[in-house]
Amino acid sequence: MSVYTEGVIALMGINILLALSVYAILMTDQCSVGNAGFMAIGAYTSAYLTVKMGIPLMPALVVGALVSSFIGLLVGIPALRLKGLYLVLATLGFGEMVRTFFLNFEPTGGASGFRGPMGSTLFLIYAWVVGFIVFFWLLDRSRLGRSFDAVRDDPEVASTMGLDVVWHKIWAFWLGSFIAGIAGGLYAHYMFYIESGNFNFLLSTMILLYVLLGGMQTFWGAVVGAVIFSILPEILRFIHEWRLSFYGAVLVAMMIFRPSGIITRKMVRDLGEKFDKLFQTART
Amino acid sequence: MFIQQLINGVMLGSTYSLIAIGYSLVLGLLQMINLAHGDVFMIGAFLGLTFAFLGIPLYLSLLLAMAGAGIVGILVERFCFRPLKKAHFLGPLVSTIAFGILLQNVGTQIWGSEPSRFPQTTDIAQFHIGPIVISSIQIIILATSLVLMVALDLFIRRTRMGRAMRATSEGQVNASLLGVDTDRVVSFTFFSSAALAGVAGVLTALVYLQITPFIGIRQGLIGIVAMVIGGLGNLRGAMIAGVSLGVIEVMNDAYFTASYRDIIIFGIFFLFIVIKPEGLFGAVQQEK
Repeated sequence: MSVYTEGVIALMGINILLALSVYAILMTDQCSVGNAGFMAIGAYTSAYLTVKMGIPLMPALVVGALVSSFIGLLVGIPALRLKGLYLVLATLGFGEMVRTFFLNFEPTGGASGFRGPMGSTLFLIYAWVVGFIVFFWLLDRSRLGRSFDAVRDDPEVASTMGLDVVWHKIWAFWLGSFIAGIAGGLYAHYMFYIESGNFNFLLSTMILLYVLLGGMQTFWGAVVGAVIFSILPEILRFIHEWRLSFYGAVLVAMMIFRPSGIITRKMVRDLGEKFDKLFQTART
Repeated sequence: MFIQQLINGVMLGSTYSLIAIGYSLVLGLLQMINLAHGDVFMIGAFLGLTFAFLGIPLYLSLLLAMAGAGIVGILVERFCFRPLKKAHFLGPLVSTIAFGILLQNVGTQIWGSEPSRFPQTTDIAQFHIGPIVISSIQIIILATSLVLMVALDLFIRRTRMGRAMRATSEGQVNASLLGVDTDRVVSFTFFSSAALAGVAGVLTALVYLQITPFIGIRQGLIGIVAMVIGGLGNLRGAMIAGVSLGVIEVMNDAYFTASYRDIIIFGIFFLFIVIKPEGLFGAVQQEK
């Protein structure tokens, strides 16, 4: 595998994680346009731990993600008061605040960036991807998953049924920022070099875009969206300079023609039934 | 020199105001932000540059750049807002960011990614009032922004179209039941919003003298900050907040560290959204 292909596949894995991190928050009908900020916290924390303190990669990743998810809790609590557009703006402001913080924070290099984290491999990245996919797959079939669905579809009904809506919303933020933190750590240790500009609001909105265009009814939508829309710009390389224009136009068109995303819940269910039938006929 | 800095801040801030008003106009109508707004601003700046190179006088360039940016604004509405009425409410957010990517790429292809220098078309005269220096560019910026803001304010309060805009922002369905052609109102609003961004682009280019296809990113964000501080959908609030932000920025650079500028701006922004989401002057849109 060439270095180029490997790079594309690795970034695709990180994008899948990021898309799942936004999906986790969307799961409770909240939204975040600041996940690049959580990613930055995970990236800088884990990189500082491995480079400056010599801590092995895995614990550093987890600590980075825990720090990021702690900040996620702090953002998630005031976010409970905000809905819709206000939450969009708050998370957007949060992301930019984190970015400008790292731009000026000298212990992690400030404006000149932070050099030296290494050790992410394709295997490691995809181990986390598979791990989180299994996690969401299990969550989907669990009682907890059902209650998240209820909170998203109708918080009032959910709370009359005895579900703690606030608790669900806060933990969704915790989970989302944890996954984004892991993605950030993996990213830093794959790129060997990070700078605050890597984590801007364009990235945050692109992650949201993966989920919306992939389909936000199931976590498979986030995964498929991240895969398709991280590969698409590479496929479009044959049109050279105009590639980003074309990419932008495709995204706008996709949003118009498939507003509920590529993967819908019905599609997953139908596919599942087909699989079941296939296995049944194979057995008989 | 405190007064000198204050004047510089007001000049800078008035371009922020123009951008913020553009966001606020759209938001008042559709309850969504247009993330391509910063890139429309950039297109306006480059259109101004192109017309200036063609030797067209400045005031005419301003008008043409306004019209050009306004047309881009109408396109944004046609592709990123109108077809998405039934989509998730975040739909326009991601569509407009995609449209912004497209505009940046088009800008790069036409004008190159290297900074372009604005030609010296108008003679810059320096006026000395005691120890204070004001350049003719600064006077142009202040005069243009003031005229546009007052005109917009009067337009919205006094004209038929302005009344239709206010009616539509109260509720699209009701407005259309009462005979307002809401599609036309929305198109017109996007046109004016983008035209203001276009003017702001040309004015900013006159100050900085060099522009790249990526200048819209920061200016667009600052515009959002100003709009929030002024109160969502509140046009007069956006004007005042924009000017104040400009003053804060210049004062910070003069008396504090320039590198902390954006932390301070985004910190204020985040605190406002969390603690006082209705802004300083009250949000027109009530649902939080």
